[in-house]
Amino acid sequence: MTTEVGAPIEFRGVSKHYGQTVALASLDLRIEAGEFVSLLGPSGSGKTTTLNILAGLLAPDAGTVTIGDCDVTHVGPDRRDIAMVFQSYALYPHMTIAENLAFPLRARRRRQPADAIATKVRAVADTLGIGHLLERYPREVSGGQQQRVALGRAMVRDPKVFLLDEPLSNLDARLRLRMRHDLKALHQRLRSTAVYVTHDQGEAMSLSDRIAIYRSGVLQQFASPIEIDRRPVNSFVANFMGEREMNMVTGEIAEDAGRAVFRGGALTIALDPAGPWTRLLGRKVTLGIRPEGVRVGEAGESATVDARVRLIEHAGAEQIFFAEAGAAEFCGRVATDVAVRAGDTLRLTLPRRELYLFDTDSGATLVHAGEPAGSP
Amino acid sequence: MPRSARLLMRALVSLAIAGAALFPILFGLATSLKPSAEIAAYPPTLLPAAPTLAHYREIFASGTLGYVWNSLFVSVATVVLCLGVGALAAYPLARFRFRGKSAIMVLIVVVMSVPVASLLIPTYTLVADVGLVNTHLGLILVYSAYQLPIVIWILAAYYQSLPEELEWSALIDGYSRLETLWKIVLPLARPGMIAATLFVVTFAWNDFVVAVTLLSSEEKRTLPIGIYNFLGFYGREWGPLLASAMVATLPILVLFVFLQRYFLAGMTGGSVKG
Ligand SMILES: Nc1ncnc2c1ncn2[C@@H]1O[C@H](COP(=O)(O)OP(=O)(O)OP(=O)(O)O)[C@@H](O)[C@H]1O
Ligand SMILES: [Mg+2]
Repeated sequence: MTTEVGAPIEFRGVSKHYGQTVALASLDLRIEAGEFVSLLGPSGSGKTTTLNILAGLLAPDAGTVTIGDCDVTHVGPDRRDIAMVFQSYALYPHMTIAENLAFPLRARRRRQPADAIATKVRAVADTLGIGHLLERYPREVSGGQQQRVALGRAMVRDPKVFLLDEPLSNLDARLRLRMRHDLKALHQRLRSTAVYVTHDQGEAMSLSDRIAIYRSGVLQQFASPIEIDRRPVNSFVANFMGEREMNMVTGEIAEDAGRAVFRGGALTIALDPAGPWTRLLGRKVTLGIRPEGVRVGEAGESATVDARVRLIEHAGAEQIFFAEAGAAEFCGRVATDVAVRAGDTLRLTLPRRELYLFDTDSGATLVHAGEPAGSP
Repeated sequence: MPRSARLLMRALVSLAIAGAALFPILFGLATSLKPSAEIAAYPPTLLPAAPTLAHYREIFASGTLGYVWNSLFVSVATVVLCLGVGALAAYPLARFRFRGKSAIMVLIVVVMSVPVASLLIPTYTLVADVGLVNTHLGLILVYSAYQLPIVIWILAAYYQSLPEELEWSALIDGYSRLETLWKIVLPLARPGMIAATLFVVTFAWNDFVVAVTLLSSEEKRTLPIGIYNFLGFYGREWGPLLASAMVATLPILVLFVFLQRYFLAGMTGGSVKG
């Protein structure tokens, strides 16, 4: 394996339409050399389209794609020096595992002597722990092993760019975690540029240097996992990240006896006077707080709300409760040793640094994690 | 035992159908092994009392082997040409999006459903114009022209049933489209290729009308014309006629018995993956 770092990638104004459907709307994205980037978004949001355009399998309607310093917009997939792992693995069913691994090395443009190929195949197979399977056919090995063969076939020729389209989605939960770990280790060793498509935000969070979040063909935000988590640009991104949906209450910021309050329907939440609220007075906003942010019991100057427990779910080491306050519902978590039952009234604390405010109409973030967003 | 009763019923019904279908062939086979006197006997016997290969000896003595070779050569060459051209032609139809593609697909179906007899005169003129009348090459070209549409149709449908990621993967691995077709698509499309082969072989081996129109000289004739000549030559001589009919039928029969699995797979557009 080489130690040289992968190539940077740049999309400039790339778009793709299928009839009326906008698969990708004017994408601008620059991925640095050696970076691990995840494309994350709901089904049909344009992730695969982005990847296929980058691979050269799909021609964009407009825009340019560069890999390294070359404009590859009109270069075929066989000349882009990329490797791709497909969701279906796409192992060649009529070839043994060894032949599958050797296939990229036998291509005319990088033909090598047979013994050099054999050495490389052996090395890659041993790295991935599939050395004992070389003589078998793809259908004769397990799903996890097939997945590693697919990875190996991509690794074997030291590509500058690695593309992975949901490579772990066909594996069971345990194996997925292990492969996630292996992938991360692999990338740290190879330092190729990696673009990784996934539905699973846990995967994206743990693997990526930066995450690109898509919605209906439009890139919403491209930033580090922490940035995305703490400073989402809009309510879509905020809601998309996190294990459970964010609690959202629509309403407005009003003034009550000289204090800023959030008023949504029958619900009034007194806000921390130190907060950046005053300049939002009268604005139609949506208050958001993650289930992890909701605390039970009172704490200092934070906003509180009394809510009636509707439902409890047990989830391993904690309980998830759903509690109603007026028309709003809050989901939150408490430890298992706290006695809560449906019908109880809980005093919920909404700490200032967990509060988000979004413009109700545009969805743009006004306040994240208690801090005002750049410019409203 | 309702289960075994059902199995028995199924076996009986299958046997009855198979019997009805096979009876003419088996009776022909039996008759070809009877001496001439027994063939003419009334009432007819089911099995030959004293089986003899006399009729077979007779037809081979009078040059049938030459016809068999001609048929074999023409059939094999037609298959090679049809599959070579068809495998290439079907690929873009299966995988590329281009202007006029549906028009081409419709045209192929239309051409497929034109009866060969109605094409006979125009193709004869065409073949005559290029000076290929009474040559095997002319016959091969005409057979290929007739059979290519169905070959393309079968192969395109089969290609489409293969997962496209495999081809994408090969492209990304550094192979051109043509190399991908050769190394990935064709090996996986074997059931489709075999189904197409059976169609072409059946047509080329059995054809009488086209061959009799295009070929005039004795030594170029294919087996079906040879058999026909026996009919004229021997009048009511059923023995040699049936013997040569058996020689003509057997290869196709054997081919189907061995390849029927693929034939069905190809017919259903590759819904059974090989
Ligand atoms: N060949 C096609 N013809 C028509 N529409 C297509 C085609 N391929 C994709 N689309 C549309 O383009 C949009 C983006 O598709 P894309 O495959 O990029 O989504 P995705 O983000 O990868 O989704 P998923 O997570 O389900 O894989 C979708 O609305 C999809 O229906
Ligand atoms: Mg996808």
